[in-house]
Order: sequence, then C-alpha cells, then structure tokens
Amino acid sequence: MSALTDIYVDNVVGHLHENSRDDIAAEIRATINDMVEDRLGEIDHPAHDQTEKVEREVLEELGDPILLSREYTNSPQHLIGPDSYPLYIWSLRWVLPAVAILSVLTNIIVHFATTPEVHLGSLLGQTIGSTVTALLIAFAVITILIGLGDRSLDGGTTQQLPGPRSKAWSVDDLHRKDVRGSQIRAEAVLNLIFLVLLALIPLIPTSLVYVGHLNNGETFINPGLGSGWLLGYWAFLALMAVIEVIKLVRSSTSAALIITGVVLDVAMAVFLTIALLTQQVLHPDLTSASGAEVQQIITVIAIWAIVIWDQISTWRAHRANR
Amino acid sequence: MNEDAEQALATHEQELRRGTVVFASLVACRQPQYGYSLLTTLTEAGIATEANTLYPLLRRLEKQGLLSAEWNTEQARPRKYYTVTTSGAEVAAALHSQWLELNTSITKLWKEGTP
Repeated sequence: MSALTDIYVDNVVGHLHENSRDDIAAEIRATINDMVEDRLGEIDHPAHDQTEKVEREVLEELGDPILLSREYTNSPQHLIGPDSYPLYIWSLRWVLPAVAILSVLTNIIVHFATTPEVHLGSLLGQTIGSTVTALLIAFAVITILIGLGDRSLDGGTTQQLPGPRSKAWSVDDLHRKDVRGSQIRAEAVLNLIFLVLLALIPLIPTSLVYVGHLNNGETFINPGLGSGWLLGYWAFLALMAVIEVIKLVRSSTSAALIITGVVLDVAMAVFLTIALLTQQVLHPDLTSASGAEVQQIITVIAIWAIVIWDQISTWRAHRANR
Repeated sequence: MNEDAEQALATHEQELRRGTVVFASLVACRQPQYGYSLLTTLTEAGIATEANTLYPLLRRLEKQGLLSAEWNTEQARPRKYYTVTTSGAEVAAALHSQWLELNTSITKLWKEGTP
C-alpha cells in the first residue's frame, strides 16, 4: 500500500462520519489492492514503476475522492457541504461558547456598573435575553459566511450529480486536496486571529462597545495594573501564536505540539487566576465596590471552563484525525 | 446526435444503470461476493458498473437490510463479503417480476410506435 493510496483513502473518509470511517477505509483499501493485483495479472515480480502506474490508473478510475465520499453519504445538496462541514462545526464549537461567555460577562459588568441596587431576576433576564440574541446572530453569521464560502470552493461540482461523472480529476490533484492539512491550516489561521483579538483586549476602549460613559472611554483593564502583568499576558499569547504558526507552516500537528499547547493553556489560566484574585484587574469604574469580587470570581470560573472545554475539544479532534 | 443530446443520453443512461445495478447486485449476491468479485461478475455479465458507484451502493443496500455484510479475515487479505438477506431476496424477486413486465411493455410500445 503506497502513500498515494493512503492519502486517497484519507481524502475519502475525511468527509464521512467518524463511526463509519475505519470500515469504509478498509474496504476501499481492499478494493484498490484487488484492482491493482488484477491488472498486474500474472507478473510474478512487477517493477515498482509498473505497480505505481497501475495504482494511479486505479485511483483515477475510482475518481475524485470528494465525489466518492458523496456517494457514500448519499447526501442531498447542503447549505454547508462536506468540504466545509468540519470547519463549520469547529467554528460553532469555538465561536458560540466564546460569544456566550463574552455576552454573559459584558452583561454582568454593565448591570453591576449601571444598577445601584442589583436584582437577581433583572440581571438574569437581561443577561439571558442578550445572550440568546447574540448566539442567534453568531450562528446565522457563521452559517451564511461558510455556506457562501462552500459554494465558491465547491465550484459547482454538485451540479454534476446525478449526471455523468467528471473525468477531469487526476491523481495529481490528490496532493492539493490534503483534507487534514487544509483543516489544520484553517484552524491555525482562525486561532491566530483569535489570539490577536485576545492580545488587543487590554487596549480596547470601552466606548467601542457603547459603555464608554462608564469610565470616560478608557480601557476595560485597570490603568493601575502593573505592566509586568500585561507583558506576561502578551508573552503567553505570543508563545501560543508560535505553536499556531508551526502548525500553519507544517500543515500538521503532533502529540508534542498538543501537549505544549495544553501546558501553555493551563499556565496561562493559572497566571490569569493569580492576577484576578490578587488585585483589581478590571477598570474600577466598571465595577461597583460590592460586586467587584463576585465579578472577578465569575471571570476566573469562566477562564477555567474555557480551558477545560478547550482541552477536551483538542484531544477529541486529535483522536478523530489519527 | 448533437452535444446536448449526447449529454442528456449520458445522464439518462446513468439513471437507468443505477436502477439496474441495484437489481443485478441483489441477484449476484445470492452467492457471497466481495466488492471486486461482484464488480467483475457484473462486468462479465454485461452490466457495466463503476467501482465508485458500486461500493457505496452495497453499503446502502446493507443499511436497508437487503444485504448482509461480513468481514472474512481468514484469507491473506481481509475482504468484506455481501450476501442477500431474506428480505433482499424477496425484493429481488419482486424486481425480477417488474423487470419482465417492463420488458414486455417496452417491447410492445416499441413495436406499436415503429412505423
């Protein structure tokens, strides 16, 4: 079994449901072997070049792995096609929880800062209402953007079904359609964007989210916070960015890189926990004296919830892609 | 035949073949068959089939309960063998009846329409 067949099979099963991948991969491999063996006929010791040529012919006869994958799923036309589906699910897993947490935190901060006497019912009502709206908008935006992207990536190939199969596909295209590599690169780019946004948080003025009147448009972060804490925060983000750049350049990941990422995530969470529990990190004008401590504790809980969820998500993705 | 007509013919032929391949696969799988042996059997019987159509089709027929599948690991190379189930055999028999009726109908129509 050559690397070419392995890549082909990976490209087919990469679009299929996780539960059926192993079985279908084994069957396609057995088929390719049978077809190659049959075509090589009675030759006792076929030359490497001969085997390679026949293997290419067989793969080209099986055709574009994306189309073969579609035959297996027998799926109707989708808004989000198999090319973009892993990215779509990945984006939802990342963006929706992040939007929910940001919305909850923002609402709590604004409510504490603007309400002289805090009522739990009012706080819950405002927070849940705003968060549901934010989640629906985020869901719609992600779906529309990736749906549009999917159509431009697809190049209209879905229109070829159920008509005659396109004969334009060649084995040479296989190298350009490394599904796993594309997925890793897309995730790395999104992670880098996310890290840049995180790095900008200490610099973002409150006026940008319509609460500038609370502290005269200063930042969300306490101006009195020591510069060492900020430099430490950016240093952690820079190290995380280095890992993402390595993934982007290599188009692959490894257990060592993942373990390094986990260690960095946990170290960053510990760093932020110490910062939040030992001093006033949020701008004093954004917090009422009675609610400041509660806000800091909620933020710490949110940080650890994100870190734990991130690790589970990362290991699940790593296991699924092995 | 112009290019558009050829394109339409290719589309309709493929639709026709798809239906035929389901029926032919159920008939051929009365004896256990692995994917490539079935492909060869169908081709030798004059039913042109593409591997990339046949394998997903076998899986769908298995899901529908018309074929049962079992990996045979006793041979040098593990292979998945498909065999028609009881309900698959009933469906095959019904399709066979339909096939004969359609053949009669089409033959009659063809004769009536031929000047």
